[in-house]
Amino acid sequence: MTVPSLPLEELGLPIPQTVTDPAALAEQVTSQPNSHPRWAGLQVFGSTFVTIFLAELGDKTQVTTLLMSAESHSPWVVFAGAGAALVTTSLLGVLLGQWISTRIAPKTLERAAGVTLLLISALLVWDILKG
Amino acid sequence: MNWHLLGLSFITVFLSELGDKSQVAAIALGSTSSSPRAVFLGTAAALLLASLIGVLVGQEAAEFLPTRLVKAIAALGFAIMAIRLLWPHSEE
Repeated sequence: MTVPSLPLEELGLPIPQTVTDPAALAEQVTSQPNSHPRWAGLQVFGSTFVTIFLAELGDKTQVTTLLMSAESHSPWVVFAGAGAALVTTSLLGVLLGQWISTRIAPKTLERAAGVTLLLISALLVWDILKG
Repeated sequence: MNWHLLGLSFITVFLSELGDKSQVAAIALGSTSSSPRAVFLGTAAALLLASLIGVLVGQEAAEFLPTRLVKAIAALGFAIMAIRLLWPHSEE
């Protein structure tokens, strides 16, 4: 049984044992709730996973793979091909995002990313209303 | 191994996902997140699981899933992430 040690981070408190340098301490305090790298990573993984998974359920890629596997009678080959393609497109996406982040100021980028995510959200709502 | 089918499914899915909302979301999240590796792993895992379900459940998936409810939850999730990015930060 493993219980993640949330409370400290949730309260926005700095994690004592990792901070020795005052500048790092100040940064941990100002950068708020998810300042612990591992916990931040898990949170990013979780929120990305859940939203993208739900958005893709019943979407055209899923429909394509199920149709192809039904027609071909070799579902695992279809899954291998589709899986490799999906890993490649997400890797390309994240790499492109990283590349963009080296060229554009963080503030502008956050705004652009926020607007983009809002558009995706609107697109999903449109899908719901249309379907 | 049916290489033809493997290539066909790769190309079909690759082309249909290129520039699609998951990839756009991966670009947006990957550019602003402090942990792009977590964004990549989250995106890839979600897409793999969604297509695995497609392969396993097959035709019944369409009827079995409450697609509209699921999409509504996803829309809400994206909206929350957007608001978190757009919300003015206190330190600036």
